[in-house]
Amino acid sequence: MNNLLVKNKLLIILLIIILVFFFLNVFQKQVRSLFYSFSNPILEQLWKAGDSTSGFFRSFGISTAQIEELNSENKRLLQETALLNELKKENKELRRALDLELEKEFDLEIAQIIGKDISQDFIFINKGSLQGLSENMTAITEEKVLVGKIMEVYDNSSKIMLLSNKEMAFDVKIQKDKNISGLIKGNGNFTLILDLIEEQVFENDIVITSFIGNIFPEALLVGRIREVNKNEVFYQAKVAPFFNISQAENIFIIK
Amino acid sequence: MIKAILSIFVFYFLALIQTSFMPHLAIYGVVFNLVLFIVILWNIFENSDNYFGLYQAIIGGFFLDIFSSHFIGYNIIILLLIAILLKFFFKRYVRVPFSKD
Repeated sequence: MNNLLVKNKLLIILLIIILVFFFLNVFQKQVRSLFYSFSNPILEQLWKAGDSTSGFFRSFGISTAQIEELNSENKRLLQETALLNELKKENKELRRALDLELEKEFDLEIAQIIGKDISQDFIFINKGSLQGLSENMTAITEEKVLVGKIMEVYDNSSKIMLLSNKEMAFDVKIQKDKNISGLIKGNGNFTLILDLIEEQVFENDIVITSFIGNIFPEALLVGRIREVNKNEVFYQAKVAPFFNISQAENIFIIK
Repeated sequence: MIKAILSIFVFYFLALIQTSFMPHLAIYGVVFNLVLFIVILWNIFENSDNYFGLYQAIIGGFFLDIFSSHFIGYNIIILLLIAILLKFFFKRYVRVPFSKD
């Protein structure tokens, strides 16, 4: 009798646990949204703290020779910056005249990264449905570098699937004399594989998004080709994405 | 009871640190998992007849699930399995002289 009671008790506890998990997963969007709503300010501060800490650690291990080399490079870059500023001014004037500014090209919402998924290529940003974001919107950086697309939207935050996520696949083209098309597949851990390329491509070629497939707007920067291999029919290449999570300050969402 | 409530807060903050601070300290793309580390440590040094380490695995796993893209329960199952295996291993084969009561 006692044994039966213990057995039933265990069964009831097991059933309750299964039910709790079932409901947590059915309402996971609401549960996560609740946690994100009060965790967002802390996540933002922690992200900034992490950013400055990694900068501090990066500063170690630089030798005097490297500092001198960097100083001379800095001077050269300053000269180039001055020249580029002039060109930028001229470019801005021309863009204004042609009505081609980034904000005018796309309807954008600026957001900040506040976290990264521990095991997959997802990031969290501090804007959500209350700011007009919705699923499948494209995320880019200031330099029109592709970041990924929104997978889930909460009230004040969203989850972005990075282009390097293993579930990501989209059409691209390689900018050369003539456009060569291919398919980018996420390979996890900030790496990309370029597949189904029909013509020879080379290291350092630049990969941009294509209008085929209509997943992302055309001509967004994806990455640079690093290693090219050829199988029986197609070329395949490893691609280093331009998006760098440690250097990205702001993310822009195309509405 | 106080220990149980305190654990909830500790693991909540550890999960926040794991999500927003630790990705900056990744080495070759590998991020150190603080929650997993604490759960392993606790289950190693806890007396093998005490089961508070399993509770910690559930709480830690739950908060990792909240801030990850997997279904809720994914990290709980992983951490709980690790904790149970550690308990089983230490109960059967190892005696830690300075284990906690």
